[in-house]
Amino acid sequence: MINKTAFIFPAFITDYTGKELDFLNENKIDFADYLTKASNVIGFDLPDFSYEYDKYKNNELLSQIIAYLFSCTISDTLEKRNIPTHFFAGYSMGLYAALYSAKAITLTDGVKIIKSAYDLVNKLRVSGKYGMGAIIGLSIDDIESLINKSRFETEIININNKHSIVVAGEKNDIQKLLLNARDEGALSAAELIVNTPYHSKYLLKYEETFSTFVNELQIKDPVCPVISTFDQREIIEASEIKKELVLNLTRKINWYKTMQKLIENNVNEIYECGAGKDLKKIARFINGDYKINSIYK
Amino acid sequence: MAQITDKTKDEVREIVLDFFAEECEIELDEISDDSNIISDLDGDSLMFLELIEIFKKKYNLNIELKTIGKYAVKNPVQTIGELIDMQLLIIEHENTILDL
Repeated sequence: MINKTAFIFPAFITDYTGKELDFLNENKIDFADYLTKASNVIGFDLPDFSYEYDKYKNNELLSQIIAYLFSCTISDTLEKRNIPTHFFAGYSMGLYAALYSAKAITLTDGVKIIKSAYDLVNKLRVSGKYGMGAIIGLSIDDIESLINKSRFETEIININNKHSIVVAGEKNDIQKLLLNARDEGALSAAELIVNTPYHSKYLLKYEETFSTFVNELQIKDPVCPVISTFDQREIIEASEIKKELVLNLTRKINWYKTMQKLIENNVNEIYECGAGKDLKKIARFINGDYKINSIYK
Repeated sequence: MAQITDKTKDEVREIVLDFFAEECEIELDEISDDSNIISDLDGDSLMFLELIEIFKKKYNLNIELKTIGKYAVKNPVQTIGELIDMQLLIIEHENTILDL
């Protein structure tokens, strides 16, 4: 069996290890430089990063940008260390950093995509009507049954692994669903800190506008295949990347199947390119002969 | 209903401590019964779930995850000591744990 490597990219940062900045400093990567480049794109100065700064956790735009920038810097570090890879995969909005790492988009284009998607769904977000949640310990059937029984305006929009499922929809119904899930025996059922129902039916109406924006970007073929989280196809051309950017925002995704696709492709060494260890945690219930390398020693 | 012997108690304790030491990348002597799973060890429900799977396999337990979830809602655990006690109850009572 040929051993292969994959770089995977988170969309968010639940908890920092606290070693991220030291890791970048040791590798002579200036994080402030990346912040400046991102600031120039979004039109205002991003605050200096600190682990405690709440807006980098609670503000949807800033949390996505900071996750993206950490992922890009870590990917750059791995490149400097000449660590080769055969595949890329990005969890949800982690796709943008995966595309940066795959040399399909520039650092600033990634920020533009984040900002564009953020602006596009502004109406949904500011309405305060929508949200997302994560349920651990119930099956897909259990959750679908809870949704159907109460006719909640919610849907499963991602399967992290066989025990962890993400839902999105109307906030009131999400909250009720999470309560019902706890009563049903979920080990955890918690709201996510977002007001946008990413990957749900509510995003479908933005497909055309987002597609128009994406088509104006200068996107290159990736240096290695990027695995789609939408249908797990191997993306090797710029035109497919454009399609994937739209699908990744507006359709359901499946991280479990995406990881399985990597494993089927003989990937046995995975690097999580991002702050924190969220994808490593999710991988606990994804079986296979692989390991996720921690870059923070 | 399984008999909980001193040997079982020792085994469960050893498994729990080894698991957290490895997962949290810390030394065994940094973990005590009073260690808070979330604030001290950065633990989460997926880790809890993985431990349950380990015990289900080791002791061939007949218990649904949902049953454990329902029990945990009423009897939440915060520390390593409480977690060990809950695992022992799960081994002892399996699916009838909700009758306690």
